[in-house]
Amino acid sequence: MKTIQNLSITVLVILLGFTQGFAQMNGQEIMEAVYNNPSGENIQGQLEMRLINKQGDTRVRELQQFIKDEGEVEKTIMFFLSPADVRNTSFMNWSYNDGRDDDQWIYLPALKRVKRISSDSKSDNFMGSDFTYDDLGDRHPNEDAHKLLGEEVFNGYDCYIVESVPKDKDYMYSKTVTWVIKENFIGIKRDFYDEDGDLLKILQIKKFEKISGYWVILNTQMHNVQKDHRTEMIFSEVKLDQPIPSNKFTERSMTLGR
Amino acid sequence: MKNQINSKKLKLYSWLVILITLAISAWFAWELAGNARMETDLDEYMPKDHPAFVYSDMAEEWFNIKDGILIAIENPKGIYNPGTLNKIKNITKALQDMETIEDADVTSLYTADNIVGSAYGLDVKAFYKRVPETNEKLDELRSLVRANDMVQGRVVSEDETVALVVASIADSVFSMTFYEEILAFADTYEGPENIYVAGVPIVEGTMAYLGPKDMKKMVPIVIGVIILVLYTVLRSIRHTISTLAVVLISTIWAFGLMAVLGISIYAVTIMIPVMLIAIGVADGIHLYSHLRLFLDEHPEATVKEAISDMIRNMWKPVVMTSVTTAVGFVSLLTSEVLPIKYFGFFTAFGVLMAMVLSLVFIPAFGFAFGISRSSKKKKQQIPKQSFTEKFANSFALATIRHKVFVISVTVILLGVSIFGIQKVWINSSFLENFERDSDIVLTDAFVNQHFGGTSSINVILESEHKDAMIRPEVEKLIDEMQTEVESLELVGNSFSISDYIRRMNQVMHADDPTFDVIPESQEMIAQYLLLYEMSGDPENLWKVVDYDYRKANVTIQLKSDNSKDINQAIEILEKYRAPFSELQVEMNYAGSGYKALVFTDLILTGQIKSLLLSIVIIIILLALMFRKVNIGFIGAIPVVLTAAISFGVMGLFNISLSTTTALVSSIAIGIGIDYAVHFIERYKIYALQTRDKSLTIRETMHHSGRAIAFNAFVVIMGFLVLLFSVFPPNRSLGALVSFNMFISFIATVTIMYLVLYKSNIFFKNKK
Repeated sequence: MKTIQNLSITVLVILLGFTQGFAQMNGQEIMEAVYNNPSGENIQGQLEMRLINKQGDTRVRELQQFIKDEGEVEKTIMFFLSPADVRNTSFMNWSYNDGRDDDQWIYLPALKRVKRISSDSKSDNFMGSDFTYDDLGDRHPNEDAHKLLGEEVFNGYDCYIVESVPKDKDYMYSKTVTWVIKENFIGIKRDFYDEDGDLLKILQIKKFEKISGYWVILNTQMHNVQKDHRTEMIFSEVKLDQPIPSNKFTERSMTLGR
Repeated sequence: MKNQINSKKLKLYSWLVILITLAISAWFAWELAGNARMETDLDEYMPKDHPAFVYSDMAEEWFNIKDGILIAIENPKGIYNPGTLNKIKNITKALQDMETIEDADVTSLYTADNIVGSAYGLDVKAFYKRVPETNEKLDELRSLVRANDMVQGRVVSEDETVALVVASIADSVFSMTFYEEILAFADTYEGPENIYVAGVPIVEGTMAYLGPKDMKKMVPIVIGVIILVLYTVLRSIRHTISTLAVVLISTIWAFGLMAVLGISIYAVTIMIPVMLIAIGVADGIHLYSHLRLFLDEHPEATVKEAISDMIRNMWKPVVMTSVTTAVGFVSLLTSEVLPIKYFGFFTAFGVLMAMVLSLVFIPAFGFAFGISRSSKKKKQQIPKQSFTEKFANSFALATIRHKVFVISVTVILLGVSIFGIQKVWINSSFLENFERDSDIVLTDAFVNQHFGGTSSINVILESEHKDAMIRPEVEKLIDEMQTEVESLELVGNSFSISDYIRRMNQVMHADDPTFDVIPESQEMIAQYLLLYEMSGDPENLWKVVDYDYRKANVTIQLKSDNSKDINQAIEILEKYRAPFSELQVEMNYAGSGYKALVFTDLILTGQIKSLLLSIVIIIILLALMFRKVNIGFIGAIPVVLTAAISFGVMGLFNISLSTTTALVSSIAIGIGIDYAVHFIERYKIYALQTRDKSLTIRETMHHSGRAIAFNAFVVIMGFLVLLFSVFPPNRSLGALVSFNMFISFIATVTIMYLVLYKSNIFFKNKK
């Protein structure tokens, strides 16, 4: 009896092992899982952006931000809280799913006027940080060819290591390598390689939490290793359960402050 | 019998001395070949702890200030065609791909940000990514550039025929190979457009390359001429060879010691052989001149007797002249500039080695190879005096007779020189070292004609208070300062944070030119900068202002690197020091142009200081050697006159000093002292021997005056060869050395001799 029990356990273990073996995901599936991680439709909270240059000088900006995903378009509005001389400056970004360039507006209180700004591409840096607009948005997995490089324990998490090579040869990165936590499909670290194949930037997630049923990143740092410049983004008072009205994302609301 | 053994032994010892000398030389030469290291980085020359350099280095780090290599692409039909635009793009990208150049350090129409205003807002984009092909698109690009004065006139010339690609490089990057690579690189893009390469690194590079190359070619010719002239005065191949051997061997030893000690060769190091050739031949000439006179008087003397007499009579002046000269050069150790210290030390070493060799190697050479006797002279000499003797006699008497003339000419010359000295200026310009019609000067002029300027200085503004640089008062003052300094013809352009602010202000007001001013509120400025950061390339901003807006960098572009011109700009900038200080903003300068200015100034003041110091030392040394205070002062006459007149002439004729030519004044010490000591020593000997003043002066003039004249003649002829050099600094070097030799010679045999005669020294006690 006992031997049978032991045997069945052994069989079970083998079976489990097999299932796992069959369930072994490929790079494409892992990155799709990351992409499909639900992120919530209404996000608001405070953002502290710390820019640190080579000499160690630090500049801090505090913003209040609101994000609403309306399916076809993702709308973001941000209000500066500090430094004092740019307080109430606001910035609005509409990002379209169909690949159109983003629409961007800025309101300068000193000028008392909302202005459209336009930038060439998604490779522009966001507010002088080390993040490009593209780094901040979700890149569709089909834009890259993915390859599972292996597995590794990183910062105590079991991770997949996935290499992604853009199908568009003119893309600003020649490849990225992402460490994805197996249990929740959060990308915890990503290395960006420049056009020449040299390491350019390292993105690390320092802190994440489950808020209102969604995984939310609370602290992330981008380090440009070539320029030795860093950007740290710290999110606080994050709320995902409060609906944000659509009229929050208008030129008029930009002038009103938060 | 005993004599024979002695002379056999002597010959053996002599050969031993010669072989040992040659062995040491071979060892040094071998060390030199293996360890010599040329230093081309000009920053290595500058004193690292001098406050001006410390500050400039810091500021260069803050704002990423680097010297730029300028590649100009000229198309006389205009640059707005697909071919030329493609070339601009390709050159830009190829430079960015170079290992040693950072992407952000390359600026051109291809990389420039175009900040434009439109009815609905702000647009920051590249002028072009893909090369425009249609006429319509080319016209559009042209009008975009025309409307943007942050680009028009800076990377595209006003007449639209020339475009500029600027690559900033760190000082450490520059090397001879890099320089050659860049030139070869630019060459591959030639045609149908004309490609020009200019900029400070290129000028420095060409100079570092051309100077030594020209010297390598010229020095053998100089030595050749010296050999010829030496032979005509010494009339003996053996004497010529040994005199020259002393100079060359001492030079090899000096350089060999440098290599052994691991000290790199600097540009001024080239001056060491120049000094040693000019000074070193003196020992040999005086020794052999004495020998010749002795043999003329004692035709039957043996080799041993002749050489013994030569050494007995001449060791003292040879030692005295060499020691005083060496001490004079050692005084250069007070200089703040490391290469000058080395120059002083190793020249002194070389001079002392030349002394040792003259007293050991020359006699050994004589014993080994024999000495030359003038067979003709023996017959001629008995009936009448030789021509030189007659000339020396009448010259000595004439000088005494026309003493008023001699003294007044000296006083006038000295007075005029003192007047001229006040006008002496040192020019840190690299460019003016080249021929006016040389490629490098023409290229520079071409780029200057179309753009803001190939040289620059940086004004660094700094405050203790955060956000100081975005205060409207400060911004306005910066703007005002730029406007005023730009009114100078030689200032082509200037660039600062206020250019950004004005541009943004205009753009945000629907491109209305009336808003091309600094706005009144700090909030507005801060918000503009935030906007710029959000839409443009913030890295460009960190070249003009720092993270906290505590410091700002104003770049002034100059069309000349001439020190007078730079100082003219600085004079205007200085007017703003007080107003800035009222706003609690401190002003400083930085950049390679400014460092060069400070550096050359340092060399000049250091040179004058050490010159004065060495004159004092010489006076004391001479007074001690002759045990007479007066002799100290009399002996210093040729030194002082040579230094004063050579500086005076430069001041009067507006000839600027450069780093190397300033050092030539050291030659005044070396040579002036040689002449004075030999002359005084001979005068003393004859005075004590004959106790007849008239006979003394005639004998001294015949003996010592003759040797001095020979010496001057040999070196002057040798260095005049440098006048045919293709490198202007080497030409002025040749002229200066010759001129110094000539003044030293004339001063010694006229005014110094006259003062010596009138002072009654060496006669007072005896009569």
